[in-house]
Amino acid sequence: MKNTKHSKKAMPSELALSLFVIIIFAVLCLVAGDFGSVNNIMSILNRFSYILIASIGMNIIMLTGNIDVSFGGIISVMAILEAFIGKTGAPIYVFMPAAMLCGALLCTFNALLITKLHIPAIVATLATTQIYAGVLPLLVEGSIYDLPKTFTWLAFDAKVFKYVPLSVILALVILAVALLMMKYSRYFKKLYAIGNNVKSARLAGIDVDKTVIVTYAIGGLVLGVAATIIATAGQRVTTTMGAGMEMTFIAAVVVGGTSVTGGSGSILGTAFGALLLSIISPALYYLGISDTWSTAVMGAIIIIAVSVGAIKGVRRKNAGAEKEEAKA
Amino acid sequence: MKTRKFNFNIALGILFLLLFFGIGLKAPNFFKPNYLISVMLRNIMELGMIALPVTLVVITGGIDLSLGSIATLSGITGGLVYAATQSDLLAVVCAMVVGCLCGWFNSLLVTRLNIPAMVTTLATMYLFQGIARGITLGNSVYAFPAATWLGNFQIGPIPIQIIVYILFAVIFVLLLSRTYYGKYLYAIGLNRTASRFAGINTVRCENIAYIVSGIMSGFAGMIMLGRFSSMKYTAGEGMNLKVVTIIVLGGTSINGGVGTMTGTIIATMIVAVLNSGLTVLNIPIDVQTIVQGTVLLISLVAYAVIQKRNTAKGRGKTAKAGKAA
Repeated sequence: MKNTKHSKKAMPSELALSLFVIIIFAVLCLVAGDFGSVNNIMSILNRFSYILIASIGMNIIMLTGNIDVSFGGIISVMAILEAFIGKTGAPIYVFMPAAMLCGALLCTFNALLITKLHIPAIVATLATTQIYAGVLPLLVEGSIYDLPKTFTWLAFDAKVFKYVPLSVILALVILAVALLMMKYSRYFKKLYAIGNNVKSARLAGIDVDKTVIVTYAIGGLVLGVAATIIATAGQRVTTTMGAGMEMTFIAAVVVGGTSVTGGSGSILGTAFGALLLSIISPALYYLGISDTWSTAVMGAIIIIAVSVGAIKGVRRKNAGAEKEEAKA
Repeated sequence: MKTRKFNFNIALGILFLLLFFGIGLKAPNFFKPNYLISVMLRNIMELGMIALPVTLVVITGGIDLSLGSIATLSGITGGLVYAATQSDLLAVVCAMVVGCLCGWFNSLLVTRLNIPAMVTTLATMYLFQGIARGITLGNSVYAFPAATWLGNFQIGPIPIQIIVYILFAVIFVLLLSRTYYGKYLYAIGLNRTASRFAGINTVRCENIAYIVSGIMSGFAGMIMLGRFSSMKYTAGEGMNLKVVTIIVLGGTSINGGVGTMTGTIIATMIVAVLNSGLTVLNIPIDVQTIVQGTVLLISLVAYAVIQKRNTAKGRGKTAKAGKAA
């Protein structure tokens, strides 16, 4: 019942979002000629690729009604880990799986705090963020630099058709897999069930705790790929590489129409949300607005997106759905 | 239930004394009255002042993560207004109005649109900080005379902000334990729907809590500006976590309905001892960050364990179901 309703509703909002992004793009190309240049588009696409990958991870976590604000902190941890391994000259197929594993472990730790100890997700992950942020500077003196060419291979040399960065292809593959999983896998249906109503999901025979833990682990795995793209962008990896990034991912997910209380939303919407967020910063630059406003614009976009979702929810409630669900 | 709350505050008090004397024995400098008053207490006052009203918010089952950004935005607005008009009064008024508006905006999203408080205030945290960054273009803002006075004036040996804090602490303790409003907050935190049916204007009660948080954050922002004599838009980063740590450590349930103002005040003192104690012991700032996060986690876990035992002992409580959702 809920699912059919959701898919009927979700399609137009995704369409609207994609139209919105295209209009912004067209206007920018008209206003500032350089905006459409290959270089600029490729740099936007590179940014898009890691936002998309991490947002997919965030999306599946948020579908269950949880959240993980330690994504930024975990990215910093993974980036440093990769730099450690990469410094020895190890190629990407060594350090990327290591990062993915590390991400899965850290996210599982978060999930254990949330499911086994019943700590609200946002507080638990805020606390772990703090711990990661404190541990890293103790291990590393500021940054790891002079990284070898094998480390930055993904950012500089890995191009498909001479121009398209490999990271974009990576992101699109992950997106395709996620879309297919969403359509055909029973696992994703479980996420929606848990997000909609934990109690009834449990009564329907879903092992809620296990599913949530697995979801966090998958989120961490996927995040490892995003961290690799972020870390390998230069020859220097700092300890604060991911700080604050979680907000961008949450924004992409929320803008894409996923409910912050869980239970509804789609990966496709998130993809457009990620696209929108990856052009905000360059768009402000090309419109001649100081970059100092980008944080405020980001915050405003999230608030608008959440409010629109909430107003829709209020309307649906008035139509006769349950009252307290959204609040809990 | 009553006896447990009582015990919890005593346990907190014992923890405070243990830490206080433990650190004092290791580093005798710590016990100098001058250090205790003008470093340990003076540095925690802003956080303590914000923790008081935010305890009200948390008791209703909400949370405010935007308070650090509100403090920064208010302080910065005050500084900018003074730079433009050279009027102290106008600067103070503007700073307080900004705090009030920010709190009102939060309350609007939370109570009118029913957006979860955590998400709302996480987003407004970035919005307010972003505005502070935008209007200053990322530069520092300098203190104005009124803020400097709030941050540095001393009555005898005692800084003014400590006296102000004590005043506020008394007011908030009385507000939560002696007024109808305080009882309403507990009722809302335990069961919002039932409170509404019992005739409590839940929306208004929550609105007041958020707006008071905003105003107090704005006030603390001015003290902060005065104490540091200049302020950047990043000044409030990490404050929200510290305040949440204080409140949770003080025994207030993050799910609402349970908690005392006295607990928050004792927890403020514990965090003060930890902060300045670790500095006295020459422990690097990064370790202090870890300690902060760990203290928060431990207090959350401790609370979860206590609650689990309570639910096992007594009848099943609704709070747990709400938490799982």
